[in-house]
Parts: sequence; C-alpha cells; structure tokens
Amino acid sequence: MFGLSAHQVAIPETGESFACKDKEALLAAMVKLGRKGIPVGCLNGGCGVCKVRVLRGEVQPTGPISRAHVSAEEEATRVTLACRATPTSDVALEILGKMKKSFLAQCGKPKAN
Amino acid sequence: MGVMRIGHISVKIMDMEAAINHYEKVLGMKTVHTDEAGNKYLKCWDEWDKYSLILQETDQAGLNHVAYKVEKESDLDELQQRIEAYGISTEMLPEGTMPFTGRLLKFNLPSGHEMRLFATKECVGTDVGSINPDPWPDDIRGSGVHWLDHCLLMCEMDPEKGVNKVEESTKFVMDVLEFKLAEQVLVGPEGNIQAATWLFRTSTPHDIAFVAGPRMGLHHFAFFLNGWSDVLKSADVMAKNKVKIDVPPTRHGITRGETIYFFDPSGNRNETFAGLGYLAQPDRPVVTWTEDQLWRGIFFHSGEESGSFTTAYT
Repeated sequence: MFGLSAHQVAIPETGESFACKDKEALLAAMVKLGRKGIPVGCLNGGCGVCKVRVLRGEVQPTGPISRAHVSAEEEATRVTLACRATPTSDVALEILGKMKKSFLAQCGKPKAN
Repeated sequence: MGVMRIGHISVKIMDMEAAINHYEKVLGMKTVHTDEAGNKYLKCWDEWDKYSLILQETDQAGLNHVAYKVEKESDLDELQQRIEAYGISTEMLPEGTMPFTGRLLKFNLPSGHEMRLFATKECVGTDVGSINPDPWPDDIRGSGVHWLDHCLLMCEMDPEKGVNKVEESTKFVMDVLEFKLAEQVLVGPEGNIQAATWLFRTSTPHDIAFVAGPRMGLHHFAFFLNGWSDVLKSADVMAKNKVKIDVPPTRHGITRGETIYFFDPSGNRNETFAGLGYLAQPDRPVVTWTEDQLWRGIFFHSGEESGSFTTAYT
C-alpha cells in the first residue's frame, strides 16, 4: 500500500480480518471494505453497538466514547468502541456489542428454530 | 387549549465544537444563547420562539428532556392535576429555571423519558419577520431546516415479560395530554400488540412517536423541510460535510414523509423530514400497519429494514 501504513485487524471468533490505516477508525475501515463482523451503528461514539475488547495489539482513541455504553472500569480492561479507535499495531478484537435485534426488527420475519 | 406543538429538545453531546459545527453548518440553525453552565441554545430560521435545541456537553449522548408548548399558563395547572390524577408525579419548575422560558411542568412518561410542558418562551420572530416577509431569508446555511418537527422515543418492549411501554406511553399522551393517534403498527399472532405509534396535536401526522426497543432511549429528532428537492440538497450538504448518513433519501409509508436519517457527531440520530404528509384531524380514521407490511410502512420504496434503524440509538 502507498501512503499511510496499514495494520491488520483480526476478529478471531469469526475468522474475519481486514486492513486499517493509521488514524483510520477500526469500524470505518471495516465498513469501507464492505466487511462484516463488528456491528455498525452511529459511527460517532454514541450508540455503543460497536463495542469491542482489544485482545492483542494497541489502539488509540480518535474521539470521545459514551460512558453510557463503556464504563471507565471497562475501558481499563481494553474495552472501547470500534468507531473511536485506530490501531497503532496489528490488533485482534473480541466483539462485545450486541446485535440484539429489537422486538420490532424480528417482526414480520420467519422465527429462528 | 392544551398542548400545541413540540417546543424544544435538550440533548447530551460529547464534543461541543463538533456539535455546534453540525447543527449550524449542516442543519442551518443559529446559536442564540450560552448559559452559565456552557449549554448552547439554538434556533431554526422559521421558528419564532427563542430556541428549540439545547446542547449539553457531557460524557455521553442521548436525551435530557423533550418539551412541548401549551397554549396558556392555566393549561399547565390543569394538566398538572390531570397528570397527578393519572398517577404520575410532577414538578412545577419556576419561571427562570430555563432562560427565556416561563414555568415548566416536569414529569416522566410511562416509558421513563422526561417530558416538560411550558406556555411561555420569549418570542423573537422568524428570520423573515412578520411584516411583509420574504418567503425565506438570505443567510440560510446548509440544509436550512425550518423548525424542530417531532421526536421518536424508543420505549422498552418485552412481550414475554408483559412489558409494553409503547402502549403505556401512547395511552398516557392520548388520555391525559389529548394527543390523537394518526398511525400505529400492530404485531403478534393476534395482531394486537401495539409496537409503534405516531401521534399529533398539530395538523400534521406526528408530533411525537413511540417505537418498541430493547431499552428506552432517543431514536431521533427531526427538522422540517418543504419538499423532496430540499431533502436532496440536505443530503448533498451531509456528503460535503462527511456526515454519517444512516438511511439515504427515501419516503416513509407511515406519515408519507420524505426523509434522511443521519447522526450528529456524538451519535444522536437526526432526521431531515419533508412534507406536511396529510391533514391530521381527530376524526380521521387511524391508519394501521400490519406486521407483514411493517417495513413497507417505515421505508416505503424498499420495504426492508435499512441502516441501523432498530439497533442504534442513544
């Protein structure tokens, strides 16, 4: 790759991996590549659906994250929002954000067995 | 008498500079006041009261309260009695609690969201004035939104536990605040679970909406535009400013509104919403959307769930 150096982002539980440039948020990189794995919400640190734990590697914050969704205690255990973190090395992530489908989202669709 | 329309919304944001840039440059509002705590008050050009949006910088996003304007001061006293009689406790905040604003009747909806009612707010006029006015002012920025139009509150719903705060909040605003039901979504095996409602006090299809979610929260607040070409321009403005669009321009079946959903820099969902829909009247038959056509109601063109409509909210 030309320009900014890229880091590999791995999601061990799904086997997914994608590249993320310096200063680019983890979630933005995933969305841009059309990849899936991390739940996508507001992309601005407010809704909490992209909550992840950094299992390996280092990240830096790119902006504020909502304390309604990530407590200071959680943050101390390497929990953050993927929309507000950029990797400074190759990283591995555990998905914590719940794609908990609301009652409404389940409506009108076949029920899972 | 009683409730006239939405008056203002107070929301939490995490970066004031980014929020002001968004609401001024993208939406086209103007900052009219900063209070001692640093909260910012903003107004749309076509509104006549002093402010309609309050931004509080803190460590999270979401709703502080939503306020509706009633016609007369005496309405506040009457509604306080009715709300208390319904079994909901209230507090009358004295004049001056909020700047430029008279007494505020504060209470929580059955869903838990804080609502306030007020009768008096300083009238500063629209940006085109009231004497031989132009149809629009010359200094419009961005989307040039006309006014704060409505909000949608996510209400806790878990039929297995017998929890339906959509139904409870709908019943309360109808029975006590005399909102009228324009449209509803009915789901479940019997088609009798009220999963979403759109209610009005003005002559447009909704001034407030309640939708079922796993937890209470703020789904979005919406600003009015005249029509489809304004919606397209609004999307252009968002692209120019790299705003995260949740649902690109489309039409709602419900309310017939033309719409864009997008996020402010702290993840609060906004909507630019165009069209007056239809003439909402108390005697108009309630429109019902069935479970199988639910998403046709929400996004009319695709008929499918789009963006993060049901999963992401503050």
